[in-house]
Amino acid sequence: GSGINGLQPLESTIPDTERFKDAANLKLNCPNCSATFDFGGIVASNYYSMSYNGLQCKKCEHLFAPLQINSQLERSIRSHISLYYAGWLQCDDPTCGNVTRQISVFGKRCLNDGCTGVMRYRYSDKKLYNQLLYFDSLFNCEKNKNCELKPLYHTGDRDFPQEKLNESSIKALTEQNRNLFESNRSVVQKYLSDCARRYVDMGSIFDFMQQR
Amino acid sequence: DPEKYKFRTMRQNLSDAADVLDMQIEIIAEIVQNHYKLSASEFGDPTIQAQSEIHAVGRIVPESPSDESVNTESLALETSRMAGIGRRVRLNLTDVNEVSLFLGQIVAVKGKNADGDSFKATEFLPLPYPESPVSTADEIQTHQKALNGDPLKVTVITGPFTSNDSFDFSHLTNFVERLNTEIKPHALIMFGPLIDVTHPMIAAGTLPHFPHLKSQPQTLDDLFLKVMAPILKNIRSNIQVILIPSTRDALSKHAAYPQDSLDRKALQLPKNFKCFANPATFQLNEVFFGCSNVDTFKDIKEMPKGGNTSMRDRFDRVSEHILQQRRYYPVFPGGITKKLLPNTEGGNKVYEHISGADLDVPYLGLTEFVGNFTPDIILIPSEMNHFAKVEQNVIMINPGRFVKPWGHQGTYADISISAPDLDNGKLTKIEGPEPVYLHNVWKRARVDIANI
Repeated sequence: GSGINGLQPLESTIPDTERFKDAANLKLNCPNCSATFDFGGIVASNYYSMSYNGLQCKKCEHLFAPLQINSQLERSIRSHISLYYAGWLQCDDPTCGNVTRQISVFGKRCLNDGCTGVMRYRYSDKKLYNQLLYFDSLFNCEKNKNCELKPLYHTGDRDFPQEKLNESSIKALTEQNRNLFESNRSVVQKYLSDCARRYVDMGSIFDFMQQR
Repeated sequence: DPEKYKFRTMRQNLSDAADVLDMQIEIIAEIVQNHYKLSASEFGDPTIQAQSEIHAVGRIVPESPSDESVNTESLALETSRMAGIGRRVRLNLTDVNEVSLFLGQIVAVKGKNADGDSFKATEFLPLPYPESPVSTADEIQTHQKALNGDPLKVTVITGPFTSNDSFDFSHLTNFVERLNTEIKPHALIMFGPLIDVTHPMIAAGTLPHFPHLKSQPQTLDDLFLKVMAPILKNIRSNIQVILIPSTRDALSKHAAYPQDSLDRKALQLPKNFKCFANPATFQLNEVFFGCSNVDTFKDIKEMPKGGNTSMRDRFDRVSEHILQQRRYYPVFPGGITKKLLPNTEGGNKVYEHISGADLDVPYLGLTEFVGNFTPDIILIPSEMNHFAKVEQNVIMINPGRFVKPWGHQGTYADISISAPDLDNGKLTKIEGPEPVYLHNVWKRARVDIANI
């Protein structure tokens, strides 16, 4: 961008609700009764509750073993990475909207005759990075305690929870589930540690200083 | 160079991807020009109208970018930036009797663009096969001595190692016992997935309780350490084990092809285990092995034209394509696996993405044949039927998966290669200042595909 209007706020200063607005929810399946629900951290839900002994299905009262959560979390992360690597591109010209996995030898050129639009990855690396950060936030004890998580439901949603959780029980439940959350988080961190978007390429930033 | 596979993932740059795709055409164009001794003036831009016949090199692409299901009537040729400013032109194949094409293939074609709209091909020039590796007399004798005259024995197995409805590793336990007491190979090549992240029980979270364990595994990495690694540790230490990962391996955080090697220490495996990248080219004695763990045999949706071409075995044709393209996975775009979901929105089919070839396009250079020569043995596991065959003096093997999806015994490949001998006439001498020898592994090897 050019000028003051083109300035973007620092990524880290954007609240999670805004930053994760396009992130997909983490869907969990109850290994006992096959109920599926969205997991949104230690928040109120009609489908699950966090007990002092871990995640519990409200329908059948099954208590999830840590591996039963972590396997689904890891599978979910890997599906997102694989979808990213499927490499779908989309033309930014709304009158064209070409969606394809074909890449021209001039990467950004649209392959439809005469179209001057610019091709972009439909699943961008920024979106994937934010998706991983969203999964990470769900198991972040500080964010859970401070009620900073992106809400799963909004007032008026069919699934809007009937009961609310009060702050002191959230704090207590977070502490009780700290070990579980640390193991959940280690699964997300494994992939964040390989995510190139997290690392700034100093070489390209200071490219202009190199002698030619 | 294994260090080159250590790049961080999840950041593909479209311009870098395009550079690589352009380069692929240019590399083959140069090979074709040298091989057929053509002059630069015999090449032309096939996308523009011309009076005379020209040669062109380009990539086979669909005529319409949004079309994924193509046939020989709906193909186009993509030019490089240099040859035709990257333009694509419809291919007219009426005058070509015999040819086999697939999306992503780089081809050399002779023909004419008479009307400006399409390139009418008259002949496809077969791409030359790459050279085979050679060794000096000294090297051969060293390897011969090391083997004591016995054949080199290599066993190959491919995951998944459990059925779709269990995490029971008893097939693997039994096989390790046979490996130690009966098969006794010099080396075991083991392809992932070790723990398959697309396993239905992982997706559903229905992993069982493991009653024999004191503390239950918390993560999939932990599941490997507590349940699978103890079985693998029983492989005798004089058997060299080579691990090649899969992009479906839960144990790899590098979920893209080309793929970095697994971490032996993190997997707590002993020193007779070696972790290699995917793909990997390496030598056991004089024999060059090329290993790639993406399902090229399934994903090349090849379109044969002509009776003689169609009559041939499909695996023969695909094997030749791999050798001619000089890359383990020449398909582009890469294959994807998706599942049709039951809920259709307004009549539209909705799919869930499951997995794919997961190509990291900017790094595809790492999937080309190393040093521009062909390995003696190429191992590419596939979901298709197991096979072992000789193609252009290269042994191509698909060992088949170790355990079938519903728990039935799968297969493995047993390779036995007689020790190299300068005197028995099985090695071809190539004269020169220092004479060298072709390995002729295809004449010396026996491959059995057996039940586990």
